[in-house]
Amino acid sequence: MARPEEKLRCTKEPFIEDVGTRRIKSIRFSMFSGNEVRQSAEVQVWNSRIYNQDMRPVPNGLLDTRMGAANKLGECSTCHGSFAECPGHFGYLKLALPVFNVGFFNCILDVLKCICKSCSRVLLMEKDRLEFLKKMRNPKAEPLQKSAIMKKVRDKCKLSRCPWCGFINGVAKKGRAGLIILHDCSKTLDGSTEELRDALSHKKEKLSISAVRMLDPATVLSLFKRMTDEDCELLNLGDRPEKLIVTEIAVPPVPIRPSVFVAGGRMSNEDSITVILKSIANTNSILKENLQTGGQFMKCFDCWQHLQLQVVEYINSDAPSLPESQHRGLVQRLKGKTGRFRGNLSGKRTEYTGRTVISPDPNLRITEVAIPILMARVLTYPERVSYYNIEKLRQCIRNGPHKHPGANFIIQPDGTKLHLKYCDRRIAARDLKYGCVVERHLEDGDIVLFNRQPSLHRMSIMSHRARIMPWRTLRFNESVCNPYNADFDGDEMNLHVPQTEEARTEALMLMGVQNNLCTPKNGEILVASTQDFLTSSFLVTRKDNFYDRSSFTLLCSYLGDAMENIDLPTPALIKPIELWTGKQLFSVLVRPNACTKVFLNLTVKEKIYKPVKDRIYKSCEAMCPNDGFVYFRNSELLSGQVGKITLGNGKKEGMFSVLLRDYNSHAAASCMNRLAKFSARFIGNHGFSIGVDDVQPGEHLNQQKKNKIDEVYKECHDLIASYSKGALALQSGCDAAQTLEHKITGVLNQIRDAAGNVCMNTLHWRNSPLIMSQCGSKGSPINICQMVACVGQQSVGGHRAPNGFIDRTLPHFPINSKTPAAKGFVANSFYTGLTATEFFFHTMGGREGLVDTAVKTAETGYMSRRLMKGLEDLSVFYDQTVRNASGGIVQFLYGDDGMDPAKMEGEDGKPLNLDQLFMKVMATCPQRGQNTLSPDEILQILNDKLSEHDASSDDGCSEKFKQLLTDFLEDRIKLLKTTRRALRLDEDHVGKDSSIAESVAANISGISAKQLQVFLDTCLSRYHSKKIEAGASIGAIGAQSIGEPGTQMTLKTFHFAGVASMNVTLGVPRIKEIINAAKKISTPIITAELLSGKDVLSARIVKGSMEKAVLGEVAEAIKIVLKSSQPNMVVKLDMQCIEALHMGISADSVQLSILNHPKIKLKSEHVRVIDKAKLRIYPAAMDKSKLLYELHNLKSMLPKVIVKGIPTVERAVINKTGNRYNLLVEGTNLLAVMGTPGVDAMKTKSNHIMEVNRTLGIEAARRSIIDEIQYTMNSHGMNIDSRHMMLLADLMTYKGEILGITRYGIAKMKSSVLMLASFEKTAEHLFNASYSGREDQIEGVSECIIMGIPMQLGTGILKVRQRLDHLPEFKYQPDPIIA
Amino acid sequence: MAEFLFEDIFTVTRLDPDGKKFDRVSRIEARNEQFNVYMQLDVATDVYPMHAGDKFTMVLVPTLNLDGTPDSGFFTQAGRKTLADKYEYVMHGKLYKISEDKDTSTGQNAKVEIYASFGGLLMMLKGDPSSAANFELDQRLFLLMRKV
Repeated sequence: MARPEEKLRCTKEPFIEDVGTRRIKSIRFSMFSGNEVRQSAEVQVWNSRIYNQDMRPVPNGLLDTRMGAANKLGECSTCHGSFAECPGHFGYLKLALPVFNVGFFNCILDVLKCICKSCSRVLLMEKDRLEFLKKMRNPKAEPLQKSAIMKKVRDKCKLSRCPWCGFINGVAKKGRAGLIILHDCSKTLDGSTEELRDALSHKKEKLSISAVRMLDPATVLSLFKRMTDEDCELLNLGDRPEKLIVTEIAVPPVPIRPSVFVAGGRMSNEDSITVILKSIANTNSILKENLQTGGQFMKCFDCWQHLQLQVVEYINSDAPSLPESQHRGLVQRLKGKTGRFRGNLSGKRTEYTGRTVISPDPNLRITEVAIPILMARVLTYPERVSYYNIEKLRQCIRNGPHKHPGANFIIQPDGTKLHLKYCDRRIAARDLKYGCVVERHLEDGDIVLFNRQPSLHRMSIMSHRARIMPWRTLRFNESVCNPYNADFDGDEMNLHVPQTEEARTEALMLMGVQNNLCTPKNGEILVASTQDFLTSSFLVTRKDNFYDRSSFTLLCSYLGDAMENIDLPTPALIKPIELWTGKQLFSVLVRPNACTKVFLNLTVKEKIYKPVKDRIYKSCEAMCPNDGFVYFRNSELLSGQVGKITLGNGKKEGMFSVLLRDYNSHAAASCMNRLAKFSARFIGNHGFSIGVDDVQPGEHLNQQKKNKIDEVYKECHDLIASYSKGALALQSGCDAAQTLEHKITGVLNQIRDAAGNVCMNTLHWRNSPLIMSQCGSKGSPINICQMVACVGQQSVGGHRAPNGFIDRTLPHFPINSKTPAAKGFVANSFYTGLTATEFFFHTMGGREGLVDTAVKTAETGYMSRRLMKGLEDLSVFYDQTVRNASGGIVQFLYGDDGMDPAKMEGEDGKPLNLDQLFMKVMATCPQRGQNTLSPDEILQILNDKLSEHDASSDDGCSEKFKQLLTDFLEDRIKLLKTTRRALRLDEDHVGKDSSIAESVAANISGISAKQLQVFLDTCLSRYHSKKIEAGASIGAIGAQSIGEPGTQMTLKTFHFAGVASMNVTLGVPRIKEIINAAKKISTPIITAELLSGKDVLSARIVKGSMEKAVLGEVAEAIKIVLKSSQPNMVVKLDMQCIEALHMGISADSVQLSILNHPKIKLKSEHVRVIDKAKLRIYPAAMDKSKLLYELHNLKSMLPKVIVKGIPTVERAVINKTGNRYNLLVEGTNLLAVMGTPGVDAMKTKSNHIMEVNRTLGIEAARRSIIDEIQYTMNSHGMNIDSRHMMLLADLMTYKGEILGITRYGIAKMKSSVLMLASFEKTAEHLFNASYSGREDQIEGVSECIIMGIPMQLGTGILKVRQRLDHLPEFKYQPDPIIA
Repeated sequence: MAEFLFEDIFTVTRLDPDGKKFDRVSRIEARNEQFNVYMQLDVATDVYPMHAGDKFTMVLVPTLNLDGTPDSGFFTQAGRKTLADKYEYVMHGKLYKISEDKDTSTGQNAKVEIYASFGGLLMMLKGDPSSAANFELDQRLFLLMRKV
């Protein structure tokens, strides 16, 4: 009795990835032969006319209806589809004579170079041929290697006599103009040609034989046809070579070249492809006629040439052999930003998208976005009708498309779509059934993607929850401005609505604002309070802010929307009157009621924090008189006025970061929501504005400013005076003018700083700009100073204002004036107003800034694009390795520890901030009378814990982390010991008795067993939760993390590296140099450590031996001695100078250097050493007439001979760091510097990556890339996790040579043709791929996007396998004995 | 009877040792004679003016209830008789840190510092370890003051 099979019924069927019946696995590029073109075509095109008189397409014309519909009105006569349905069909055009395909022209030339022009065999000896063939057939050879072999074959094919048929071959080369291949035999003549020439010279007519013959396409075609298949293989041809030559043109379908009627349908506008094809058809018919009628040879030939040019134009209208063309050829359609690859295949236009102006709304949650009703009525979501939502959807249907919670369409289960505008909505609502899909309007809580361009990092597009609101703008909480880099000065943003439940879930989980509070760049928090939120928090937590019961409760009610319970704390002041403080209010904000189990513990030093200096009664940091030390203990604000460092973005120790790490994103987000609501409401009532009185300087300030300016002006005048007297002491490596500039700039910059300090100290605390600058919401002391006191020195290109007139900046000043005012110092403030000249200087500075921004956006944009293309397919696999799309390993363990940079808490990418965590554990887990541990017990517990399984090295924690933990606890033990020493207790043993001193010591720094246990457990579990997840597309993240900060870098190139006058390229140009793997960098600097680094003298000696000295510098005299017997030159060395500078030059060494000089061609007998300091040089030429000339030539050359040092070293500067000296060597040749005696080669570094690679190898180069990028970023105040740099460096070096992230480097890294074609040089890559028959496995990111296939990254890394057929039936009995 | 954690008579030595930073709050420096206890305390001088030379008695207690029942942590409406009735100025706050004096390497008796925050108004009390015996970390404190 079989029960009827009862299937489990789900409301939603399990998701089965729709792979269709066929999935594109790979693409092979090849060429079409004429035959294939003909076979795939529907119609032959030969008529050059397009339309007949009554504007119907001419049969066999270019718009023949068999090739598809030409516009919306037409119909395809092959498949009878309309313009929208029929994709079109190909036609073909038979050419009367073959022509070259311009894209393959170089390939054709290469093939011709290799084959015999008579028998079409490869011009190689049999032995070579077999060897190359073996190499080419190697199954492991990559396409790149194969084309390299092909190049070798080409270079080897230099035989002039064909080994097969004995034909004498010349060189095949490109003709001067147009697409012409010449066969030049002039150099490979033998006797027979001489004979021929002799014979010809007897003839009367002037006949000359030319050894140069033209290889026309028809000849080439016949040559190619005779090639053997084996030879094709040898030449890396993927297909028959005759396909390189065009005999038939495939005429593309009409719909891709639509024809538009103008002037009332009497004329038509044709696509440029149609126009070119039309002229080809025209020329072709003329040529055919000429050939058939037997026209003149030259006429036919010209016509053929013309046809050739037109076919070239059709394929590539920018080809160099063409005159200017107005048309867009096929290549032009593909390439470039708006071409098919980048414009249509890699990025597509979508539906369910909106865009409008944005505005702020602090009352929204940070995860929300307000969408105007107008938009919500157009953007829809297809919701399936079920038991739970049928009533809601019925109401939506009744409302229809025009009333907001409405719907636009109903899709019946049979697939019919019903538009609610044109039907009876009541009936539609009544007839609604389960299983229908209703395209309803967007409603509150729907998931949308929100984006602002430029999308520089992944936080530029995040998923929000919709909130439908009236009016016309998209609104969101100001806290989310940062990740989008948005402001509200007219910015617009985009909105996308995911259309399936799966897409929604993925968007919410991966792209939700809550899950993207931190940037993966370095783990800093990005979504955080800004601007007014900071100001009002700062104001409210001021120490002398007191509220009585009514105002305190009012402020508490600002926190939420009356949805939350709030526990009123005990007032801080009970008598004489009950008063609450602002800090208590802030504590309520962090933890509004006892049910909120959030215990915030952190300490932060705010901007206004000043350490208490030399007082007898030194007290702890919290007692800061400015109240700048923020101390939260168990969600209670104990001290400190909160500001940007506590609440703002870009910090790891801030309040929201701690909430996020210690609790979860919800805790941080809800706190941000409360703060936003409270701040907006508070500051609305409190009022905060700025006026003229805010920037009026006081009497005291004016006086101080005047004194300072007078003082500095005097100093400058003194400097100028000593400069003009020539008495200025030079700085190392500078001339007098540079020294003067340095000194004056240094002095002038002091003015602004000094004035700024005075401003900050003297302004009243209620001054709005001061408040804003103190809390960090807007503006810096310099901004205040410029408004109130003094605008300061204007700089253009890092220097004072340049001379726009002859020897002066402006005609208002005397010539050669170097006074502060004449070189762009603005002594006035914006309040007092600028004088005419000051104003002019100020605009010069301003203009530079504007130009800078404009230039750098383009520059960094291109850099980001290249980085992205280089790194896009790198991801973490389940075995923790980082691999590219084809499975090649780039890193064995991501970032050497497999940690996720977005989750790092500590500085410099350390996984945890142990100080903060320890404080939290101590505060949330009180001792409660438990005994504290002795130092030995602490270490014992730590070691026990670390030896447990989940902490062991193999798949537990890294050694580095263990070390970090041990070091931290050892510090704690040290603290414990000092406390016990101070209290006169035994340092190592904790007494069990409860004496007063013991209990005090326990209170001060004791750790109980429980506390330590909790601390270690938290550390380990948190460490494990910070591992990077498999599938993470860290390549893309890394590219964004390096590219995005680039946009913030000012283009300011130069910077001092320790020593004045030593410039290092920084900023975007330097990053560019590094990732381009530039062979020549603008400022190569070698940092040489010295073996005896404490001694200046030895540093000087080493410096002397490195810096190059030319003969002219060390010679006392170089004289010409004219004697009748043997005129010569005498060089006398300045031995005194040489010895004083420890140069170690002698006449012998000079002799050697002269002989080794490449341009002076003298032999050892010509240069004679007379004594220690004297040389005699005889000119080499024996010819008397040239003797004098030779001598003078020598005289001009000799002073430039390098006699000492490293020729490539420009100069070396001694640099003092700490108490050690090292040398900064400007120039290249690391090897020579390392080999210089006295240099510690082990510690010597260079910033020239290619040179490091040459001298020290690839691993050193990798390290050097990481360090250099890190250094450049750090010197711009940018902090990037080193794991990103490691990945980039590994990608650049993993092939064994340094590959730049440029089109050449990327071509060597990636194997995919489509990816390379979508990057740069689209046509070139496509033509080469089809020449060699490349196959593209669709596995990388770009390829998958182009083909519309889900990529193997992120959530796409895993495939769910499910069994769709029935399970085999189990038999619950033994198998029958007899089957 | 409620137990006093600390009781002493102080004399204000200075007002605002680092200069006046806030309008309604001043930091007072005070010390007593017999124990040599040193104190810094933020006082809302707007409601309870203080001057240098003022002498006052200060008490720290864990609860204001006269019978010594522990403080609930929640504020209850006034009306009952409390310890506060005898004093002029009462603050409520939390003890957040105990530490040893940093520079006692010279010998002498080690001093212990006690830090408390009364809703942001800070107190630092420095004295002998014995005076700190009754204090615990995270203890709720009432500070009561009366001029004498």
